[in-house]
Amino acid sequence: MTDVVLPLLVACPLVGAAIALVAGRLYRGLDWYVGFVALAVEAGLVVGATRSYLASGRLSHEVGGVPPAYGIELAFDGLSLPVAALVSGVALSVLVYTRYSGPRGPAFHSAYLLLAGGLMGVTVTADAFNLYVFIEITGLAAYALVASRGDGASAYAALKYLVVGTVGASLYLVGVAYVFVATGTLNMAWASERLSEVGYTDPVVVASFCFVVVGLAVKTALYPLHSWQPDAYSAAPVAVAGYVAALVSTVAAYALARVLFTVYTPEFLSAVPLASTAVVYLACVSVVAGATLAVVQTDVRRMLAYSSVSQFGMVIAGFAVANPTAAFGALIHLVGHGVAKGGAFLGVGLMSSDGDVDGLSGLGRTSPGSSAAFTVLLLTLIGVPPTVGFVGKWYMAVGAFQGDRPVVAVVVVVSTLLTLAYAARLIDRMYYGSPATAADGGRRSPAVAVVALAAAVAVALGLLAGEMEAALALEEVLG
Amino acid sequence: MTEVESLRPLATVLVSAVAVPLILALHRNPDFREAVTLAAATAKVGLVGSMVPGVLSGDVYVSDLGGLVEGVELVLRADALGMLFAALASLLWLFTSVYSVGYMRGLDEPRQARYYAAFAASLSATMGVAFASNLLVLFVFYELLTVATYPLVAHDETGEARAAGRKYLVYTLGGGVAVLFGTVLVYSLTGSVEFAAGGVSGLGDADPALARLAFALLVGGFGVKAGLMPLHSWLPDAMVAPTPVSGLLHAVAVVKSGAFGVARTVLDVYGPDAVASLGVGLPLAAVAAFTFLAASVIALRKDNLKRRLAYSTIAQLSYIVLGLALLSPAALVGGLLHVPAHAFMKLALFFCAGAIHVETHTDDISEMAGIGRRMPLTMAAFAVASLGMAGIPLLSGFVSKWYLLVGSFDAGQPVFALALAVSGVLNVAYFWPVVHQAFFETQAEHDPKPLVDGPRGGYWATKPDGYVPEADGGGWRRAGWTGGEASWFVLLPILLSVAGAVVLGVVPGEAVYLDLVVEAVHGVTGVVV
Repeated sequence: MTDVVLPLLVACPLVGAAIALVAGRLYRGLDWYVGFVALAVEAGLVVGATRSYLASGRLSHEVGGVPPAYGIELAFDGLSLPVAALVSGVALSVLVYTRYSGPRGPAFHSAYLLLAGGLMGVTVTADAFNLYVFIEITGLAAYALVASRGDGASAYAALKYLVVGTVGASLYLVGVAYVFVATGTLNMAWASERLSEVGYTDPVVVASFCFVVVGLAVKTALYPLHSWQPDAYSAAPVAVAGYVAALVSTVAAYALARVLFTVYTPEFLSAVPLASTAVVYLACVSVVAGATLAVVQTDVRRMLAYSSVSQFGMVIAGFAVANPTAAFGALIHLVGHGVAKGGAFLGVGLMSSDGDVDGLSGLGRTSPGSSAAFTVLLLTLIGVPPTVGFVGKWYMAVGAFQGDRPVVAVVVVVSTLLTLAYAARLIDRMYYGSPATAADGGRRSPAVAVVALAAAVAVALGLLAGEMEAALALEEVLG
Repeated sequence: MTEVESLRPLATVLVSAVAVPLILALHRNPDFREAVTLAAATAKVGLVGSMVPGVLSGDVYVSDLGGLVEGVELVLRADALGMLFAALASLLWLFTSVYSVGYMRGLDEPRQARYYAAFAASLSATMGVAFASNLLVLFVFYELLTVATYPLVAHDETGEARAAGRKYLVYTLGGGVAVLFGTVLVYSLTGSVEFAAGGVSGLGDADPALARLAFALLVGGFGVKAGLMPLHSWLPDAMVAPTPVSGLLHAVAVVKSGAFGVARTVLDVYGPDAVASLGVGLPLAAVAAFTFLAASVIALRKDNLKRRLAYSTIAQLSYIVLGLALLSPAALVGGLLHVPAHAFMKLALFFCAGAIHVETHTDDISEMAGIGRRMPLTMAAFAVASLGMAGIPLLSGFVSKWYLLVGSFDAGQPVFALALAVSGVLNVAYFWPVVHQAFFETQAEHDPKPLVDGPRGGYWATKPDGYVPEADGGGWRRAGWTGGEASWFVLLPILLSVAGAVVLGVVPGEAVYLDLVVEAVHGVTGVVV
């Protein structure tokens, strides 16, 4: 099969990155328009891919016409669809936001598009080594974006991110090497078949699993491998923080799910119970530890970063249960969290210059629109129905019982209270604190609209979850 | 029972949700803003009222909105039990809206647009709770109710109000967590969370330990809002809210959504048979009895009138839970009938407390000596409602209590009848001092704060609540026949609520609530009480 839309999905932002760099040097300001056009086309391509997926099922493309086993395959199924939609939607929306908040310049927009291309590559690749390549592209672009504020703190945060992120990617690469040793192929589906022939309990297979999981857990920022994340999110320009927080860890968690389901498959997890138990408990510890660390923060951006540590723990726990119900819950929570967390960072950027929690005091009065949207996004993180945060929890809890992992159900349900502990503090400050300073009166209504859009999507996704579950058909992905 | 496709349950939920943006948009124009609230409240009463005859004749109105999540439909069903709660909350919202106008304007409260908007949103969520067709939909609206009420609890924006708001969120969302967990368990055990009269099939045969755990989680979670001890302590703190909020939400809509959740759990999720065979009814009854005795004792010692009323609410809510836990048909009727019976009386009591606050800025019982002379109608209403609380015949509290007493003998548990009798005595003990203080003592023996500025028939003021010297434009004002009462916006709802309590007590068969209760219990047990 040759669905040409898949290579175009990856190529479009990458080509845009190159053009933006040149165009921005020729005509000042043209780079933003190049980025906007590239990402608008990208969104159109995602819509096209979605339509053909809904019409005919899984899409697949052999790059350069070389068949799998040796060639690289790109694929698009129910697991990648929501993530691809998230990537293109968030990239386009945050670009609109940067028009009002900065940063600007050809180098920034080039890195911005490079990140979008890398993320889309991770989302659609069906080749384990190719996944590594796109993870590295993602990482390099993200390091550059974090540093784009240009001061000491952001340089330090970017360096820390670079060192830790590279270690994570390298661990993943070692894991892939073991897979290659055991199976002789890098194509995920082929490797999966060979793995079952080699035997799931083979030490090489188990070792590869450990490396892959730890490597991607670093990229996802699970506790205790999260330390790069709070620095990166709080030191980056706020639009970058929103962009990176919405997508980079999200796509890393997606990659982990992809490898779990497509390379190792749920049979591996049931054949090696220790492995799945370890992942579940790692994830559950992350939920509790992340939330606890979030409660004590005085900087909203760091609080939101630790909140991500907690929420991604929940997502990974849902994936590790490895049945269709829990996987759907984790997937929709992943996407919903991306929308909510990205929107929350952008909202903080609108409301508070330095990100201090006390700086939010009284903003419910001075900037009612962004405060209301920010509140809805916080309620999404808490998991108040009917937002998407609640629907994800419902599916994960039900799936956890079906998969005989009640501990996941308990953690998922109780995480509501852990999230409440830090989110309620913000809501209380915004609406019942006394305003410290008058809001600046800049014209930024399109930026507010982006945050409001995130809030609307967070609610709409929750209401549409029932239809989405049928359309995504995760049973096929899980085999 | 016939199911009728109708958009009326949906419209009942939406009518006040639509009002929310209108209220916020009209924040510069208070008269139109309040008109929107009153129009929405009237429309809601009309919509609910239009469904009552059909429900009484056995119809069920259903609004089907499609799938919520896999295996669970977002459906609103107006059955007898749901109608009981909806008819109560919508009618009392109308009373409270009128009262709010008098109260909030009398006190010149800030941020009234937020207040009215949150109030309308709370009522939408309440209707959703009433009409929910399964546990998950119930949970969704239950949580929305929590979110919508939070701004009302923290309305004053003082440190105390914010602390109460946070406590409220932690307690009620914590209860929500337990409800969600219980719902997930029920879904895992049976594959369905749909309400069915007499219980979800398969729950009686499920693993008893898990079924008991799910019951404990559901009842414990709903019990937070129903004020079951030891999960009650948010309620007295929430009294920092404006009095109409304490009256409608913290004596009727919010707390009774908890009691209603318990009712749905017992009647429509487990069913009386499964509850009996699992042996979880008696422990629940014991917790309820402990709660109403302990709360009554605590109420004796509370000097702040609203806090005393709050503990009284905690006690009375446990009557409802007790009736549900005893499981005999008469006890079920008594428990459910206590939902409206308590609501009318307690709303009147809170309205009285609010009227006193508006007129005299007095909140403590020890400072109310002689207030019956200044506000004769208010305090007479207070006296009548507190007699009803104690279960004096010809008032609504007596009817439900009678059924509860009969039901506890039917259930073979006369000890609970004794507990109810003791509780009645305690009710008198903590309400009588207020009435005595108001009518039979004078301020001369008490605090020098001038509640009554002169002999009956006149007082010194420029504003209804203040003593102002003549130099500042004060003067001797002759009061009308009502004495120094609050405005009619405040007074009328008080009188209407008390009248409701009297009607329910004198001719319970003519008011629709008893019929609805009997219909609901008939659907579950097959017995017409």
